[in-house]
Amino acid sequence: MTEQIDKALAREYEAGFVSAVESETFEPGLNEDVIRRISEVKGEPEWMLEWRLKAFRVWQEMEEPNWAHVDYEKVDFQAISYYSAPKSMKDKPKSLDEVDPELLRTYEKLGIPLVEQQMLAGVAVDAVFDSVSVVTTFREKLEEAGVIFCPISEAVHKYPELLKKYLGSVVPTKDNFFAALNCAVFTDGSFVYIPKGVRCPMELSTYFRINEQNTGQFERTLIIADEGSHVSYLEGCTAPQRDENQLHAAVVELVALDDAEIKYSTVQNWYPGDEEGKGGIYNFVTKRGICHTNAKISWTQVETGSSVTWKYPSCVLKGDNSIGEFYSVALTRGRQQADTGTKMIHIGKNTKSTIISKGISAGKSNNSYRGLVRMNPGAQGARNFTQCDSLLIGDQCGAHTFPYVESRNPSAIVEHEATTSKVSDDQMFLCQQRGIDPEKAVSMIVNGFCKEVFKELPMEFAVEAGKLLEISLEGSVG
Amino acid sequence: MSEWLQQAIAHADSIQDGFAEQRSASLALLKDTKWPNRKTEAWKYTPLRAVERSSAVIKEDSPELMPQSVLGADFLELTFVDGQLVALPDELPDGLTITMQESSIFATIKPERHLFGLVNDVLASDIVIVTVAEGVQVEQPIRINNLLSSGAQAHIRTVVELKPKSSLAVVETSEAHGNTLATAFTEYLVGAEAKLEHYRFALQTDDNVAVGGSHFKLLEKAVLNSSIIGFGSQLQRIDTDIIHAGEKADAKLNAIYLLDGQELFDLHATVEHEVPNCTTEENIRGIAADRSRAVFNGRIHIHRDAQKTLAELNNRNLLLSDKAEINTKPELEIYADDVRCAHGATIAEIDKKALYYLQTRGVSKSQAQLMLSFGFINELIDQMPNAELAEWVRPIIRDRFAQMEVK
Repeated sequence: MTEQIDKALAREYEAGFVSAVESETFEPGLNEDVIRRISEVKGEPEWMLEWRLKAFRVWQEMEEPNWAHVDYEKVDFQAISYYSAPKSMKDKPKSLDEVDPELLRTYEKLGIPLVEQQMLAGVAVDAVFDSVSVVTTFREKLEEAGVIFCPISEAVHKYPELLKKYLGSVVPTKDNFFAALNCAVFTDGSFVYIPKGVRCPMELSTYFRINEQNTGQFERTLIIADEGSHVSYLEGCTAPQRDENQLHAAVVELVALDDAEIKYSTVQNWYPGDEEGKGGIYNFVTKRGICHTNAKISWTQVETGSSVTWKYPSCVLKGDNSIGEFYSVALTRGRQQADTGTKMIHIGKNTKSTIISKGISAGKSNNSYRGLVRMNPGAQGARNFTQCDSLLIGDQCGAHTFPYVESRNPSAIVEHEATTSKVSDDQMFLCQQRGIDPEKAVSMIVNGFCKEVFKELPMEFAVEAGKLLEISLEGSVG
Repeated sequence: MSEWLQQAIAHADSIQDGFAEQRSASLALLKDTKWPNRKTEAWKYTPLRAVERSSAVIKEDSPELMPQSVLGADFLELTFVDGQLVALPDELPDGLTITMQESSIFATIKPERHLFGLVNDVLASDIVIVTVAEGVQVEQPIRINNLLSSGAQAHIRTVVELKPKSSLAVVETSEAHGNTLATAFTEYLVGAEAKLEHYRFALQTDDNVAVGGSHFKLLEKAVLNSSIIGFGSQLQRIDTDIIHAGEKADAKLNAIYLLDGQELFDLHATVEHEVPNCTTEENIRGIAADRSRAVFNGRIHIHRDAQKTLAELNNRNLLLSDKAEINTKPELEIYADDVRCAHGATIAEIDKKALYYLQTRGVSKSQAQLMLSFGFINELIDQMPNAELAEWVRPIIRDRFAQMEVK
């Protein structure tokens, strides 16, 4: 059995190739000059630079957090390059035809079709390669509906008022160590604005790719759903297979104004490092949304990659009757470590939140759920339900649950449940008795275990997520 | 190091007994331990201001204090006044010994780094060692009673050892008058196939500041049944650690906390499953009224070797006022795969439908609330193995409910 596990764990990381794209990369190091240069390269207005520098000064005063249940070699922030862009992007391509074919091939290899004609379902994609956005598809069609979907570096110029109002409004500069760093050095990301009453005509998606060596990726996403609007957003990520650890410190901010709904789905497949734990991405991400009256934010995540994950997509339920949801499947194997979960802050009356978290640990990995549910004094009639289930595969891994439950309103109801178990012998026996081989049986059982989360994913993602899990679990039970 | 701590440990040198070696080791550790603040995980919800501001001091002479509560005629009473042992039972049953000599168990069961555990190591002047000989079933329960006079600071420590196949019941109680500060720690080693019945009643309220713990190590096939009942006070913190160190040990912990006024109560329960085939069942119920604050932290840690563990924790809370606060954190840390572990936590108010039902039957609203609140915890009192103690504690709880300002 162990042999089979080893074999399965040694499987190749399919997205681990490097693209031969000529890049312009900053020298490693971080100081005010570097930030000025990033701002200059982007041709940013003065206010943006000021904002960055302010964040940088705050960051210098902060300490790297160490409360998470993860153990890793600390990042040397001076050894990272904070900007890397394909050379061909220097003269910004106007359309897909002008984009470097090597870049397009990269995304094709990853299964992300950027060529619009070939696309079936009509998902608009913003492809971010290292520090810059390569291309955003279907922009015209979206513009017809009044939807703004563009790289955030472009939004700085085109929509400064929206940015000034909302950038940093959900995740303030001082929020935490990695968020402050991101504020100082973020290079690109996606910006979405859905006007009042508009239901976004197609799914929006961003695909993040780290290619260059010794770089970090610091992207920033801001989604604003104006009153009564609706949007579904997908995010995917991969990186080449390398021996060094690379840092990914992103910030995602969601603003759901009155009656709006945002659905944010992530399939995270950063390079997880090899079986000895060498290399891989440090995924230290801050994601948070704010819900105004009757608004709804739903986070769905499938986490299979990264060597270390530190990520808590959260909802601030500020408006009355607002709803927050968090559905998560986190799979760790090899020596991966994940400390992930959510925060639901109930401020408004009759706010509701649901947390469904499924953790699967295999190999020598450690998988932790860490969550906070807080009922503020004003959260009259609020309701939370939390369920965290963990599944252990093999006796060398760990599964942990650290839920914080705080209530200051008697009419609020909070429920938390957690269970831990392994794939039961009975279930295996039943499947095998029906002629299903053990591998298939484990895959079926795990899929069933995650069903509640998968059904929340948009169709394309659900297929990808299921496939990812299947590959990851190959041969893990004998 | 805080000012309070510096003043407190200045007394350390005055104690001369057989525990000098452990004391100096603890003192060294203590000097190396940070005073907790809001960012210290174990003290996140429990500020130590009450300790820092306490004017209670260690007294040289203990006044004459008589215990106010009598549990029953057949209890073996160990009475401490202001930290000094003043009364021992006249006669002890065969196989039960009580000494103040050295002990190899002292300071080995409680967690090494617990700040107040270390304070207690250093400052407990009358360390009492209770031993039950192999195969002896002690019928009479032992009561460790910690009496405090106004303005007193006291540190008491008891070490209890149950040799294989023996059995014993221990009741830890305290009575405090006015402004007091106490650390009371008890360490239990439960030998192979031995049975321990344990009760800790922390029923003093008001200005009392108490930080203490009951720590258990269970060897093969040992059985522990522990009941903790706490009312809040200015600061009431209890740590309990249950270590499964022998296979097939079984632990059951029932705890109740009932808070009123501006009280604070903090229970930290940790279960360490170090070996395979052990079971743990924890039921924790809490009620917070008025402006009180309840904190519960329930950690279950399954070590790599502890296969076939069964562990369950259930924490249910009633929040009775919009000024009260409940913070709960059930934790699981699991490193073995063939285990069944679960925890659940809920916080809510009294079921409105049940309340309505009782009112339609002519029960007044406040009476109905009392009935439902009492029912919420009574189940755990019913489970107390010693019926006499259950009968003793029930009216105290009834009085408590009567005082509680129920909306």
